[in-house]
Amino acid sequence: MPYEVKEEAGKDGRKIFLIQKENFLELMTDLRKQGYDHLSLITAVDFRDRIELVYHLQKSASNFELLTVRTVTYDSTIDSVTSIWESANWDEREQYDMMGVVFRGHPNLKRILLPEGWVGYPLRKDYDLSKNQYVNMDDEGNDRVSFDPGDGW
Amino acid sequence: MEGQLNSRYVELNMGPQHPSTHGVLRLKLLLDGETVKNVEPVIGYLHRNAEKICELDYYCDSLIYFDRMDYVAAMNMEVGYLEAAEKLLAIEPPERVKWIRVIMAELNRLASHLVWAGAFGLDLGMITPFFYFFEEREKILNLFTEICGSRQETNYMSIGGVYQDFNDKIIFKIKQFLKQFPKKMEGAYSLFIKNDIFLSRTKGIGILEPEVALSYGVTGPMLRASGVPYDVRKDAPYLVYDKLNFDIPISKGKDVLARCIVRFEEMRQSVKILNQALDKIPDGPYFNPKAKKSLMIRLRGEGDVYARTESPKGEFGVHLVGDGTVKPYRLHVRSPAFKNLSVLPFLSRDVLIADMVAISGSIDLVFGEVDR
Amino acid sequence: MKTGDAGFITTTLENALEWGRSNSIWPFTFGLACCAIEMMATQASRLDISRFGSEVFRNSPRQSDLMIVSGTVTKKMAPRLKRLYDEMPYPKYVIAMGVCVIQGGPYNQGYSVVMGVDRVVPVDVYVPGCPPTPEALTHGIMLLQDKIRKREGK
Ligand code: SF4
Repeated sequence: MPYEVKEEAGKDGRKIFLIQKENFLELMTDLRKQGYDHLSLITAVDFRDRIELVYHLQKSASNFELLTVRTVTYDSTIDSVTSIWESANWDEREQYDMMGVVFRGHPNLKRILLPEGWVGYPLRKDYDLSKNQYVNMDDEGNDRVSFDPGDGW
Repeated sequence: MEGQLNSRYVELNMGPQHPSTHGVLRLKLLLDGETVKNVEPVIGYLHRNAEKICELDYYCDSLIYFDRMDYVAAMNMEVGYLEAAEKLLAIEPPERVKWIRVIMAELNRLASHLVWAGAFGLDLGMITPFFYFFEEREKILNLFTEICGSRQETNYMSIGGVYQDFNDKIIFKIKQFLKQFPKKMEGAYSLFIKNDIFLSRTKGIGILEPEVALSYGVTGPMLRASGVPYDVRKDAPYLVYDKLNFDIPISKGKDVLARCIVRFEEMRQSVKILNQALDKIPDGPYFNPKAKKSLMIRLRGEGDVYARTESPKGEFGVHLVGDGTVKPYRLHVRSPAFKNLSVLPFLSRDVLIADMVAISGSIDLVFGEVDR
Repeated sequence: MKTGDAGFITTTLENALEWGRSNSIWPFTFGLACCAIEMMATQASRLDISRFGSEVFRNSPRQSDLMIVSGTVTKKMAPRLKRLYDEMPYPKYVIAMGVCVIQGGPYNQGYSVVMGVDRVVPVDVYVPGCPPTPEALTHGIMLLQDKIRKREGK
């Protein structure tokens, strides 16, 4: 393999691959070729100075055995895997929405759960919960987010 | 085409408050006559920041948010969270607790599928089955009330145990319920399966090929209806499922009807599991003394774990990261309905609007879980 | 009545109207979350809500006069809720079902939940509980009927 993969066992005994961000997409492509055809979950964990991305893959041919791939990004960007698994589409949008991770090459990277225009990424540790944001709707049915209550609140 | 009048296609907005979207789903449809050309689901109308609040609370407090995720299958959600939390906190529940959890989870699976069946009937314009299914569900909820004091959002389990022990009376009552349940269920099932209108509205609609399903991350009855026998209870057994004898129903039909049949077959299997578990349940303590009520808020966890369980909607995964304090550092939920919904745009290309309603009904959406 | 017979007749007519109104409340299915399932259970076999004249759940705001807000109202949903409320014809009533709708409930530390639907629409009856049992909702509807008959707040 042209890149280096560190392997370790997790606390609950699952197999974990650690990979550099640069070789991340190559590894994922290879894993898909090895039969990991089910991308179960993408999680981003905010450690203040860095964001760790955890991918849980499964192989349908051998009883859906679990494999975890872990990588770290310091500038909140990572390559998108939507071209490999369709299910990454919504998962990556969710992580973008909640954590502000930008997935390079994603076809439609916009907020999925919160309305467009929301300020901040709520699951980050430095998100300010004391500031209220309000949502209003214009005539076309689009959301307008603002910090002042405005009409109807 | 920007700015031009396009008279061929009509844009239609369905939801977020619509009787057949099962809650607060909004669908942006692009229609050509009555044919759906494109669907864009808009979700997030029930985004209740559960993951953020869990980070602010103790490990044991997070349970109530899990109850309210898949609110028709609260027990299954609790099992899912506790699988992860107990791994992280290194607390093993006693043997009896595992059996109790299996019994409660399977009872709730029945209740969840009954709600689905009732709502699915309503989607297709059948009102009668709804009452039969809800009557049976009401009986299950009565059992829950007797065991844990609450009907729906039970909050029955806790880290390392359950809040109250089973007694013989309860076991007797569950057995009584199970005796009459299959007959009632089959009766209501025949309202579905012997009805020509129902068959013609579900057969051959919404075909989902197994490769597509896997690539979209679809799990649960939807995946099994496409012929892939994936069930966490069999493939990676948790609790005591490896000591129980049951089958994983699959179907080769791949369509809406197949999903319906698979769900009903699952109910029969659940009854089978329940009957075995009620006979085999061992004696013993009902909580782990390391996680007594007074010690519960002092539990600390470090590292990260991922646990998957089989909820009525599919593979329910909990990824839990601890940093050595009494509160979770990060908690992320793999919600099966979220993934199953993402396949709706693919399934409803070039179908009629009425068929799209049948397809979205067959996904079994619960928005507490999709949006969290 | 002091003003004479005509006054007497109008009051009784209004009373009769309110009596009729209170016994034929048509609720609008505004199910949002967990409480909606209990609302469905209220409608189903065991606790048949039609005993109180409210069995006709309408899916259109234009045909209904009671909005049972059952389930968490999020900030994204609130403007839609307000619009649907505005579309209902007078006289209209609102029941807030569940603690989420009353003050945010279990989610009130968060960022995306409205702390009480009464910040968006006026509420007539509050039914606490998480979720309230179907019996509690039935009681809430009976309270509302009382309120309509007594013409409180008019
Ligand atoms: S009050 Fe409780 S049961 Fe009702 S919607 Fe809120 S969390 Fe769910």
